[in-house]
Amino acid sequence: MLINNGFNEDKIQSPLGYIWSIFKTKTIAVVAMWLIIVLIIVSLFAPWFVPHSPLAQNPESMLLPPYWVEGGDINHILGTDDLGRDSLSRLFHGLQLTLGGALLITLLVGIIGMLIGAAAALTKGVKASVLHHLLDALLAIPTLLSALILITIFGPSYTNCLIAISLSLLPQFIRSSFLAIEQELSKQYIVAIQLDGATKTRLFRYGILPNILEPTITIINRLFTMAIIEIATLGFLGFGAQLPQTELGSIIASSMELIYLSPWLVTFPGIAIFTVIIIVNVLSEGLRHAVLEGEE
Amino acid sequence: MSLSNQSELNVQPLLKVTDLCKSFKHATGILSSREQLAFGPVSFTLEPGQTLAVVGESGSGKSALVRTIGGMLIANSGDIYVKGQHLSSLNSQQRCLSIRMIFQDPSSSLNPKTTVGKILHAPLQLNTDLNDKQRHQQILETLKLVGLLPDYLAFYPNMLSSVQKHQVAIARAMILNPDIIIADEILSTLDISLRFKIVNLLLKIQKAKGTSYIFVAHNMHLVKHMSDQILVLHQGKIIEKGTAKSVCESPQEEQTKYLLLSHQPDYRK
Repeated sequence: MLINNGFNEDKIQSPLGYIWSIFKTKTIAVVAMWLIIVLIIVSLFAPWFVPHSPLAQNPESMLLPPYWVEGGDINHILGTDDLGRDSLSRLFHGLQLTLGGALLITLLVGIIGMLIGAAAALTKGVKASVLHHLLDALLAIPTLLSALILITIFGPSYTNCLIAISLSLLPQFIRSSFLAIEQELSKQYIVAIQLDGATKTRLFRYGILPNILEPTITIINRLFTMAIIEIATLGFLGFGAQLPQTELGSIIASSMELIYLSPWLVTFPGIAIFTVIIIVNVLSEGLRHAVLEGEE
Repeated sequence: MSLSNQSELNVQPLLKVTDLCKSFKHATGILSSREQLAFGPVSFTLEPGQTLAVVGESGSGKSALVRTIGGMLIANSGDIYVKGQHLSSLNSQQRCLSIRMIFQDPSSSLNPKTTVGKILHAPLQLNTDLNDKQRHQQILETLKLVGLLPDYLAFYPNMLSSVQKHQVAIARAMILNPDIIIADEILSTLDISLRFKIVNLLLKIQKAKGTSYIFVAHNMHLVKHMSDQILVLHQGKIIEKGTAKSVCESPQEEQTKYLLLSHQPDYRK
């Protein structure tokens, strides 16, 4: 057992570092990651660089097509709507509410749901069942329906729509995180840590959390996708963002009657929602595969 | 501990188990359940520096027995005394300092996301009042005891070979200098030469530290080589108990004879 610095590595790579190095070799996933970063930056700083105010009406140029189509104007790259508002600017502002709201919901529900799921899995008896089944009544109803019910109670507004969606997605997330942690609890190293006399917090922090990366990525991805779809749906149905707020779903809804006259108004927000969901799923799938390969 | 029973301490055996019983509940219907006896009632004692081997065919309750003593399972009835004190009266720190467990398969009992250094550090941090420097000293001493270089502290378990993982698992058990180490079939996953390496390591540690072992094993020749006392379990009951020599050389029960016959050393095959 002689060690003479004959190892290939100069320094020992941590499991996370190893997963990262695998992830870096997955080109599509890395591209998706950069696209997400760009999208977030773009939607955050949209008000500073979009060419027009999303609410500025221009009676001179109404229902313009995109600039590459006959009759388009280079001033309005993606055309204008029936009030002469610039589509591109409205798209960016819409992205701000849709993507930003979905990220906020994912962060909030992710943290709260993981904590409740962990508390339910790590405690025993009545406390565990109360935590575990706290929001089960909502689980029986489809999430969109429960979000609609909640929003009729709260009253339609963008903030209420975010709260309603968070509450409707929380039970599912609690259930999935509970299952992931429950499965982890039967592993021998968890039992060994428990026998060392570790507290529940320590057990969760060092024993469970680093080892449930793969299921966590999957459930967070699902959470984000559902959040973005539900925000857009509620906006489309008129329960989410209220005028003059621009949100991708509500932009589609307000352009519905113009679909034959100017199909671009519906197409671009739809493509935007679709692209965001695709990019996030590609990123999470790449991450998940990197974790799986790294843990082998 | 009151002063009155401190004088009794000297005559108390290190570990005393009396009428220990454990059964598992199996749900058979919606409301009904059936109790299945894992073992019991079991009584035995263990002296310092001695090795007790628990043998028996599979399903005889030997793993459940050592896990109950190790604190992984809770007994239905009966008592376990460590140095005269009831196990339930000890807090988790005192229990860790007196009984430690080595798990069956070290590749699944070492957390893959923490370094060997952290794995060894955790029990010290949780169960002793040592400061950082003393803990590091203790870790180095234990590594030396199990025959690993300090370089391994920065390694993650997946970078170690299976025998090195065993060494780390033994180090984790030994780091608190416990009185009793429980080993649950640790040797069955190793091939023959590495098995003897670990056996010799365990015997060396016992000689140096005076630790008592309770171990579950299949190979009767290893049991004979390692242990002072043998406990033969059959369907949860002790059918034979005695010194290794007497049990191996003049077995009284059919089951014991069968075990001795069926476990020819595999290197002679």
